[in-house]
Amino acid sequence: MPRRDDLHKILIIGSGPIVIGQACEFDYSGTQACRALREAGYDVVLVNSNPATIMTDPETADRTYVEPLTAEAVGRVIRKERPDAILPNMGGQTALNCAIALGESGVLDECGVEVIGCDLDSIRVGEDRELFAKAMGELGLEVADSGFAHSLDDARAVAARLGYPVVIRPSFTLGGAGGGVAHDEGEIEIIAGQGLSLSPEHEVLVERSIAGWKEIEMEVMRDAQGNGIVICSIENLDPMGVHTGDSITVAPAQTLSDAELQRLRDYSLAILEKVGVATGGSNVQFAVNPTDGRVIVIEMNPRVSRSSALASKATGFPIAKAAALLAVGYTLDEITNDITRATPACFEPSIDYCVVKVPRFAFEKFKGTSETLATRMKSVGEVMAIGRTFEEALQKALRSLEQGHRGLGMDGVDDLFALGEKDLEERVSTPTPRRIFHVAEALRRGWDVARVHALSGIDAWFLGRVRDIVAAGGRIRELGLAGLDAPTMLAAKQMGFSDEQIAWLTGTSAEVVRALREVEGVRPVVKTVDTCAGEFAARTDYHYLTYEAAPVLGAVPAGEHAEGARPRVMILSAGPNRIGQGIEFDYCCVHASAALRERGFETVMVNCNPETVSTDYDTSDRLYFEPLKFEDVMNVVEVERPQGVIVTLGGQTPINLAHRLKAAGVPIMGTQPDAIDLAEDRDRFSRLLDRLGVAYPPSSTAQTVDEARSVARSLGFPLLVRPSYVLGGRGMAIVYSDDDLSTYMSAAAHVSPDHPVYLDAFLEDAIELDVDALADGDECYVGSVLEHIEECGIHSGDSACCYPCFSLSDAIVARVRQITRQLALAVGIVGPLNVQYAVKDEQVFVIELNPRASRTVPFSSKASGVSLARCAARVMAGEKIRDLGLPPEDREVGYFAVKEAVMPWSRFPGANVELGPEMRSTGEVMGIARSFPEAYAKTRQAIEYRMPERGTVFVSVCDRDKRAIAPVALALRGLGYDILATRGTAKTLRAAGIECEVCRRLSEGHPNAIDEMRSGRISFIINTPHGHDSRGDGSRIREEAVSRGITCVTALSATVALVQSLAAVRDRELDVYALQDLR
Amino acid sequence: MNPLVSRERQTQALLALEDGTVYRGRSAGAGGEAFGEIVFNTSMAGYQEIVSDPSYAGQIVTLTYPQVGNYGVSAAAMQSGGLALSGLVVRDMCREPSNWQSEGSLPDLLRKSGVVAIEGVDTRALTLRIRSAGAMRAAISTEDLDPKSLVARVCQAPGISSHNYVPDVSTKQEYVVPAAGERRFRVVAYDCGEKRGIADGLAAVGCETVVVPWDTPARRVLALGPDGAAPDGVFFSNGPGDPTQVGATAQAARELMGKVPVFGICLGNQLMALAAGATIEKLPFGHHGGNEPVMNLLTGRVEITAQNHNYGLVFESLGKIVPEESGGFAEHERDLRAWSERHVAPVVMNERFGRVRLTHVNLNDGTPEGVQFLDVPAFSVQYHPEACPGPHDSAYLFTSFARLMAGDADCLDIDVREGRRF
Repeated sequence: MPRRDDLHKILIIGSGPIVIGQACEFDYSGTQACRALREAGYDVVLVNSNPATIMTDPETADRTYVEPLTAEAVGRVIRKERPDAILPNMGGQTALNCAIALGESGVLDECGVEVIGCDLDSIRVGEDRELFAKAMGELGLEVADSGFAHSLDDARAVAARLGYPVVIRPSFTLGGAGGGVAHDEGEIEIIAGQGLSLSPEHEVLVERSIAGWKEIEMEVMRDAQGNGIVICSIENLDPMGVHTGDSITVAPAQTLSDAELQRLRDYSLAILEKVGVATGGSNVQFAVNPTDGRVIVIEMNPRVSRSSALASKATGFPIAKAAALLAVGYTLDEITNDITRATPACFEPSIDYCVVKVPRFAFEKFKGTSETLATRMKSVGEVMAIGRTFEEALQKALRSLEQGHRGLGMDGVDDLFALGEKDLEERVSTPTPRRIFHVAEALRRGWDVARVHALSGIDAWFLGRVRDIVAAGGRIRELGLAGLDAPTMLAAKQMGFSDEQIAWLTGTSAEVVRALREVEGVRPVVKTVDTCAGEFAARTDYHYLTYEAAPVLGAVPAGEHAEGARPRVMILSAGPNRIGQGIEFDYCCVHASAALRERGFETVMVNCNPETVSTDYDTSDRLYFEPLKFEDVMNVVEVERPQGVIVTLGGQTPINLAHRLKAAGVPIMGTQPDAIDLAEDRDRFSRLLDRLGVAYPPSSTAQTVDEARSVARSLGFPLLVRPSYVLGGRGMAIVYSDDDLSTYMSAAAHVSPDHPVYLDAFLEDAIELDVDALADGDECYVGSVLEHIEECGIHSGDSACCYPCFSLSDAIVARVRQITRQLALAVGIVGPLNVQYAVKDEQVFVIELNPRASRTVPFSSKASGVSLARCAARVMAGEKIRDLGLPPEDREVGYFAVKEAVMPWSRFPGANVELGPEMRSTGEVMGIARSFPEAYAKTRQAIEYRMPERGTVFVSVCDRDKRAIAPVALALRGLGYDILATRGTAKTLRAAGIECEVCRRLSEGHPNAIDEMRSGRISFIINTPHGHDSRGDGSRIREEAVSRGITCVTALSATVALVQSLAAVRDRELDVYALQDLR
Repeated sequence: MNPLVSRERQTQALLALEDGTVYRGRSAGAGGEAFGEIVFNTSMAGYQEIVSDPSYAGQIVTLTYPQVGNYGVSAAAMQSGGLALSGLVVRDMCREPSNWQSEGSLPDLLRKSGVVAIEGVDTRALTLRIRSAGAMRAAISTEDLDPKSLVARVCQAPGISSHNYVPDVSTKQEYVVPAAGERRFRVVAYDCGEKRGIADGLAAVGCETVVVPWDTPARRVLALGPDGAAPDGVFFSNGPGDPTQVGATAQAARELMGKVPVFGICLGNQLMALAAGATIEKLPFGHHGGNEPVMNLLTGRVEITAQNHNYGLVFESLGKIVPEESGGFAEHERDLRAWSERHVAPVVMNERFGRVRLTHVNLNDGTPEGVQFLDVPAFSVQYHPEACPGPHDSAYLFTSFARLMAGDADCLDIDVREGRRF
C-alpha cells in the first residue's frame, strides 16, 4: 500500500522536557519522523515544550510550536493549524498521554483529526495491567501474576494462588520501603505484616517473584499489511529486578538459543497484533527463567521507546523513521534500507559485532538517597559501545562513561582490594551502579562463576567473560611491558583494554603503551555498521574501531575506511547525558555538522551516546561510535586526518581533551587550548580582569583547610566554594561559617584531586545573567543576554531565565555586552563563549567565562532567532562574523521567552529538595508569550501540566526572606488563595495585616503541614530554606510535596514570578505561537 | 577464546583462500585439514543447526556473528546425525557455554565430529572478501602452517561442482518418520541431505514420511503408498553441492511430477526446475542466513526466511511469459522485484509441465524463491520453511503441501501468521 494521499498536514507531538526515563532519544525519534514525513511530501506541525531539541528547530518542521504539552495548548495549536492527523507515538509516554487527553477533550473529533501510528485503545491495553493480562491470557502467554492484599489472610491467599516465592510491595511508600521477598508462609507474616503497617493505605501488592530471571527485550515493527520484523533482541546483563533503563544491556541477546529467540519473535509479533498495533515499532519485554526456559511477558510499549533508539543505533535500522512512514500508509517493503540503498527495510538486521549499553547515574548529586537499583529508573544517561566481542564492548562502554574508569577496573581508579569478604559479597548481591566492578573484583579473587551467579543472578556467560577480562588483565601484569609482543598486545586490545589500563597493569604510561603499539603495528581498524553483517555493500559511513589481525598473506584490508573527497572537520560531541551536560551540547554539535556540510566540508562526528541526534548516521558525513577518551579520539584522528577538530561545542568533555590533542599535533579549530586555559584558570583569568578593569567578586584559591580559613577571613562569609574544571556546579556550595568550610574542604578533595578549590565572595541577592556570544578574533557578537529569575547562588542550570531581560535597564545590558566583547577578544575566543554575570547595586561583576558553547545556546538560539551554534561552527571554520548577516544585538523583539529547569526530585527519595549552587535539573522547558509572566506561566504548565488555580498555599520562609514575603502573600490573598503558614512566617504576615492560618510544627502533633498535604488541601508550597535547616521540618515537608506532586517553590524570586504568572493566566487562555511567525 | 585467557597454548591453525589470502588463527575444533568452498552465514544465533545442516557438505562456513558457542549444544538442535560441513571459521569460540538446555560445548562437538575449525580470524574482512570475490576454494589446516604451501594446495583442490556430495549425506536405507498426531498423508521424502526440521515440519501437518535414498527410482516410490499404491505426495529435500551433479534425483522428479503431488525445498526446488528443463545458475556468494525477505506474490506478504544455497534456478529459462495470466505483462524481467513491485505473480509456459507461476521473490536481490506448477500438482521454494535456525514465517508451506495433497488449488495463499502459531 503506498502513501496516503488523503492526509496533507500532520501534527507530531514531542516528549517535553528531559526527565529520567524520557530523555533525548525522543528528540532523535521525533526529528527522524519530521524529516521522513516532510521528505514524503507532508506538511509537518510540531509541538514540544523542550527548546534544547533539534526537533524544535524552526528548520525541522514546517510549523513549530514550543508550547506546553497540555490538551489546552495543543488543542489550540490544532484549532489554529487544522492538521489532518496527529502522530503521537514518537514522543514517549508524554505524547501518548497528551493524545489521550486531546481525545477526551473532544478537540480531535471537533476538528476531524485522525490519530495515526497508534490506536488509543491499544495504548490502553498496553498500559492497563488487567487488560494486558487478559490479552496475553487469550494468546496463551503468561504474565507476572499479582494481587492486592489488605490483610495477612489476603496476602497468604494471594501467595498460595501464585506460588512461592512472592514479592511483597507495600503501596504508596516512598521508594518501595518495607517490601521484600517471601519464600513461605512464615516470611509472608513478617514481610507482609510490616508492609501493611507501613503502607498508608494498609495495602500490599503480592507478586509472583521472577527476580533473577533473564530479561530480554525485542524491538519489533509491523506494517499495515501485517508484515512483521524483529529489529533487534536485547539482553539485560542485570537480571529481572533492575529497570531495563538502569541495566547494562547487550545486543544481540547472547545466552538464548535460536529456538528460544524465535519463540520470543513469534510471541512478540503476536502480542503486537493482539494489543492492536496496526503499524509502527513496539518494544516487548520478556522474563525468561534461566533454569527451564519458561517465558513471562513483562510489558509492551506500543510506541518508539528508549530501547528502540538503542536498537536503531545498535543495528543501523532507523526505527522511528520507518515507523513514521508506516503510519502514513507505506509498507515495510516499500521503504528502502538507507544503509545499503539497494535492499528494502522489510528484513531483520544482522549484526556482526556486540553492542553494550551502560547507564550513567548521578547519585553524587542526590545525597541521602539509596543507590540500590530497582524497578524505578534512576539513571540520567547512557553510553553505548561497539566491539567485536562483548568483552571489548563492555570495556569501551565503561570508559565511555567518563566517570574515571578506563575500562573494567585495572586502572588504579579505585581500590577494591581491601574490601572485606562479607562486604564484597554484599556488593555483588546488591544491584548498584558500581556492581559490575565488584563482580570483577570477586572473580579476580578467584570466586568461581557459580558463586558469583548465585549472589548476583547475572548469567554465567556474562560472568565468564568478566572473569576472562580479569584473567587477561592478570596475564598482562605478569608479562609486563617487555612481554607484550605484537600478538599479545593485539589480544589485549581485542579484550578492550585501553592503553591506560595496560599502562597501569605494566607500570608505565599510556604514551609508552601507545608508542609500543605503533612500533608493533597494533593499530585499530575501521569497521562499518551496515545492518546486514557484510552481505551487502554499505553506502553509509557509520563506523566503529576495533582490533583485528591482518592476513599473513594476501592484501585483504581489515579496515573499511575510504578517503573522502572534501576537506574534513571532526566534531567531538558530549558523551553520555549527565546532569549539567546534556542534550544541549549534542544540539550544538548537530548544528555545527549541518552548517559545515552546507559550507562544503565533510563532517566526522565522534560520540558514544545512543540517545542523541548526533549519533544518527545521517547527521554527519561520517559517524564514529567511539568513547570520547584521548586514545579513542586520537585513533579516529589518525584514520580521518581532519583539517581541524572542534572541541568547543560538546561541553566540558572535548574541552578536557583539547590540551592533549593539541600537544599530539592535532589541529584544534577555533579557540585554542591556551585561550581555554586562560579562561578556566582562575588566577590567569583574574589577572586578565584586573588588567581590563572589569569587576568580579573577590576570590581566591585554597588547597588546604587552613588556607581556606585564611581566605575566608579576608573575604568574609558567605562564600561560594567550588572545585576547578567542573561542569554543572559539581561539588559547589555556599558556606556560611568556618565549620561549613572545614566540612566542605574535607569532602572536596575527592571531587577533583589535581585542582585547588575556589572561594568567591558570594553576592547575596544579586541578579544573575547568562550571556551567549561568539567571537572571530576581531569582532564579537552577543547573541543573547538572559536574565535569571532566581538570584545568584542557585546554579544557572537550575534557574529560570528570560530573554530579553525583563528588569534590567538598557544601560546595564549595553555595559554587559561591552564587557563580553572586551573579554572575548582579550581571551582570544574564536567560536562560541558564554559569560555569567552578577548585577548588584547597578554594578556588573563577571562570575565566569566559559570558552565554549553553553547549555543555554539552544534556548538563546530559539529565543533570539539566531542559530549561535551554526554561526560558531562557521566562524571556527574561518568565516567572519560581519559576513554572517546577523541582526543587530539590541533589536526589540516584541515577546518574551522563558526557560525553566525541570527537577528530578521524585526519583531520589531522601535527597534534599532544594535549589542550590550544585546543578540537579535534568531538563528544561520554554514558554513564549507577549509578557514575561505569561511566558513564565507557560513553563509552569509545561512542567506541571496544570497551574494550582485555587486552594490553600502553605508558606514558610527563612528569616532572610521574611520582609519580602508580605507583598507576595498579599497578592496571593488577592487572587483568592487561603494561606497556611508556620508560626514565624505567620507572625510576619499578620504584622503586615494579612490573614493566615497557623500550622503546627511536625514535632507539635497533628494536624501539621504533612497532614494538610495528605488531606489534599494544599495546592502549592512556598518554602525557602536557609543553609542550616536542611534536615529539619522544611526538608521533610518538601519531600512530602514531591512525593505527592505538589508544586514547591524554594526561592523567593521564583515565588514572585509564580504569583505574577498565576495572575496572568487567571481566567485567560494563552495564545500559541509558531517559531516561524516570530521571525 | 582470547589467547590471553587460555591456560595452555592453543594449537595454531591457518585459513587459506584460493585468491592467496591466508589468515592465521587458533584451532577451535578437531585438528587436521579441511578443504572446501568458503561461504558465510549471517545468522546471529543457531550455529548448531548450521553446522549440523547436511547442505553444508563440501563447504567451509564462516559465521559472521563474532562470538559463537555461547549457549552450548544439545541433541535437540541437531539437524542430522552428524556434522557434514568441511570446516568452520569464527572470530571467537566460547568454551564454557551457559544455557539450561546445553549438553556440551560447540568446540567439543566439532572435535568429536572431526570437524576442523579456526578462531581468531577477522571474519568481517573475510566476509567482505567473499562478497566481492565470490565463494571460492579454501582450506583450514592445523598441520600445514606454511601459508604459501597451503594456498598452493587449495589451488590444486577440486571445486565443489566436481563432486556429487548428496550420496555422502543421504540415507542408505529407507525408514519411516511417523506423523505427529493423526496420520493424514503418506509421503515419500527423497533424502538428499534432509534437515530434521523438515521431517518435523512434514510430521506436524500429518505426514507419515518414508524417507528414501537420493537415487531411489521413481517406480519404487510410486509403490510406497498405503498398500503398495502411490503415496499421497513426494518431497524433494535440501542438500549440498551443485544440483547438476544430482542427475538421478532430477530424473526421478521428472518422472514423478504430474503423477503425485510434489513439494521441494532448496536443492529439491532446483532439482524440480531441472526436471522442468530450466537452467541453474550459481550465485556469486549465495544466500546463507536467517533474515532474507521474500514476498509471496499471491498474498503480497513478506516472509523473513532462512536460506542456505549457492545455486538457484533461472526463472526465464522455465518458459515464455503468458501475458494474460501475468497482469498483461509479456516480457521477462531480469530483476524479479519488478513483479513484487507490481504485485503480479507471472506465469510462464513450460514445455514439459505446462504453466508455471512465480510465487516467491527475494526482495534483496530479485532472485526467484518459489514456483508453483499450475497444470501439475507441484510447488517448490528455494528457502527453508522449517527455519532451524531462523524465523518461523514460512512454516505455512508445510500446510500448503498438505492442502496440495488434499487437492486445494490455492494452496499457497496462506497468511504468514499461520507459521508463527505457538
